Amino acid sequence: MLDETVAVIENRPLTGGHFLLSLRSPHQAPLVRPGQFAMLRLPGHSDVLLRRPMSIYDVKLAHPQGSGKGKGNLPEIIQLLYKIVGRGTQLMAELRPGDQTEMLAPLGHGFFEEKYLEAARQADEVLHVAGGIGIAALLMPAKSLARAGIRQRLFFGARGVQELVGTEDFVPFVGETILSTEDGSCGTPGYITRPLEAHLENHRHQRFLLLACGPWAMLEATAEMACRHGCPCLVSMENRMGCGLGVCLGCSIRVRGEGHGSYERVCTEGPVFWAKHVMWERK
Amino acid sequence: MKNQSSIGLARNQSREPETEAAFSPGLEIDLAGIHFQNPVLTASGTFGYGQEFARLIDLNKLGGIVVKGISAEPMPGNPAPRIYETEAGMLNAIGLQNVGARKFLEEKLPFLRTLKARCLVNVFGYSTENYVRCVEILNEGEGIDAYELNISCPNTRCGGMVYGSDPKLTEEVVAASKRVSRCPLFVKLSPNVTDITVFARAAEAAGADGLTLVNTFVGMAIDVETHTPRISNVTGGLSGPAIKPVAVRMVYQVCRAVKIPVIGIGGIASAEDALEFVIAGARAVQVGTANFYAPETSIRVVEGLRAYCQHHRTHFSSLVGSLRLPEDQPPASIEY
Ligand SMILES: Cc1cc2nc3c(=O)[nH]c(=O)nc-3n(C[C@H](O)[C@H](O)[C@H](O)COP(=O)(O)OP(=O)(O)OC[C@H]3O[C@@H](n4cnc5c(N)ncnc54)[C@H](O)[C@@H]3O)c2cc1C
Ligand SMILES: Cc1cc2nc3c(=O)[nH]c(=O)nc-3n(C[C@H](O)[C@H](O)[C@H](O)COP(=O)(O)O)c2cc1C
Ligand code: FES
Repeated sequence: MLDETVAVIENRPLTGGHFLLSLRSPHQAPLVRPGQFAMLRLPGHSDVLLRRPMSIYDVKLAHPQGSGKGKGNLPEIIQLLYKIVGRGTQLMAELRPGDQTEMLAPLGHGFFEEKYLEAARQADEVLHVAGGIGIAALLMPAKSLARAGIRQRLFFGARGVQELVGTEDFVPFVGETILSTEDGSCGTPGYITRPLEAHLENHRHQRFLLLACGPWAMLEATAEMACRHGCPCLVSMENRMGCGLGVCLGCSIRVRGEGHGSYERVCTEGPVFWAKHVMWERK
Repeated sequence: MKNQSSIGLARNQSREPETEAAFSPGLEIDLAGIHFQNPVLTASGTFGYGQEFARLIDLNKLGGIVVKGISAEPMPGNPAPRIYETEAGMLNAIGLQNVGARKFLEEKLPFLRTLKARCLVNVFGYSTENYVRCVEILNEGEGIDAYELNISCPNTRCGGMVYGSDPKLTEEVVAASKRVSRCPLFVKLSPNVTDITVFARAAEAAGADGLTLVNTFVGMAIDVETHTPRISNVTGGLSGPAIKPVAVRMVYQVCRAVKIPVIGIGGIASAEDALEFVIAGARAVQVGTANFYAPETSIRVVEGLRAYCQHHRTHFSSLVGSLRLPEDQPPASIEY
């Protein structure tokens, strides 16, 4: 984990108030593992004091392979996929190429610690379950699983078609993509958990590993479904964060433990947890 | 690597000529019999147990580290959401989640002991006996330089707040803790009182070796769409730049009311902020919330204080309480 001043290369608007922010960060990019996140600071704004947590969407080489430029094969660019929801993300959207910002990264335990990899190897297929901007946490895992030759499928639900961003980035890595929208503007109408449930029902003989990221309610429903179908399920959790460093204890969530359970920090013990470890009842 | 952040440093930190660099700013201080290499500490609850920052800053450049509040037994803390950002500050209701005194000694203290920064342990309990018990356990540890008795946390129902808002209880818990304490005892005061000097005097009378102030201000934020409080505990402690002017005023008042040293805390994000506290009378300062968004703040404050002293060719100690008041204003009067 490093705290660096990084330069904006591009801040590309996508549909539905989403943006893809590319930052030059040659020291941090090579350290990133799938499922980790960054804390981005927007200096100079006392109304946005705290850093904002953002999943690391992707890391890229400065120059595409084969262009003859660039130092070796190490990535130098970190990409964040984000949606404007408030003041901080609004300020992010105002970043222009050449602007500088401060970023703490990479943070947290990602999807592919050894203990998780074992579960992926044992599965016939890995099912990615994304709700809205939760998609941002899943691209790097999908890439690395594809590299390991593991079959994958993406279930991606959002409010409307405008929010279904990034699907094309997954195409090279996942066998099939199933989309759903709450307003019915694309794919199956309703929540993504419906087609997911149908898939689990129709393939009872298969072993799945679920990787999910999205709103609490979607994660809770996915966790419950995974439990019912006996599938291991990993969830990438979100919570308000004060520091990302494990010191403010602002991001703690209830997890199973002795007695009434205990608390673990999303920024440090997470953001990825086994779904059955999380105490979902609370919210 | 880092550029100068805008919340950052005092205007005075320009490159100094050789002669000024040779001038000794005298940042080393002695407080309550403890020697600090400089007057900048990190505030409890905002710096973990130190180690979390080891990869980001040079901990050996700090004057001291005040660790997260420790209780005799481990505490789980409050449900989420625990924090909410407000204008130039944040509300928190962590609920004093901590590993407990024994585990602190075993797992956290050995690292802190290796540092040049002094180690202060923030202590809290839910009864006088419980405070005493915690101090007794901590007494067994090697390498604790001082205790900071937290009688002011607003987030535990039966916790410190009661002690911090009743001068008799303040005296009781300070006296009882002082009796068993093996090292100097600082008392951290609550700002959530009508007259903080009453509590400052009570702590001094009960034997406190120093005072630290302020802790967070009880605050509240509401989501107007859902009509619900923004944090699960309903109310939380406000910290950050937003509280600085009130904290400076309280330090000013307390420094005039007691003889024991005062450490100033509240919204410090730059050397200039720290200097306000010092000029108001604080002998040292603590950096809190700024650690979250700019981990290098405390180091920048040390460097900024040094640069300021060199630039003005003044010794740090002569800055303490150097406030100049308008001539017609008697020093002790506070007009609201
Ligand atoms: C580990 C992690 C990874 C994340 N990855 C992404 C990502 O890749 N892309 C993305 O767009 N967003 C991501 N988020 C959410 C993102 O951090 C918030 O949307 C952002 O902090 C909101 O800031 P704001 O100032 O715009 O909104 P605010 O004005 O602070 O809040 C607007 C709304 O967002 C909610 N919110 C605020 N902070 C958070 C938070 N930390 N987590 C969830 N909700 C929050 C508030 O409750 C409020 O409803 C992630 C969060 C976490 C914890
Ligand atoms: C998340 C958080 C946790 C805190 N925990 C403690 C604590 O355990 N004990 C304590 O005495 N003060 C605690 N504090 C208060 C700080 O030490 C400090 O007094 C206060 O935040 C004001 O300083 P600041 O504005 O620089 O943050 C905490 C503050 C925050 C923001
Ligand atoms: S965000 Fe501060 S402990 Fe996790």
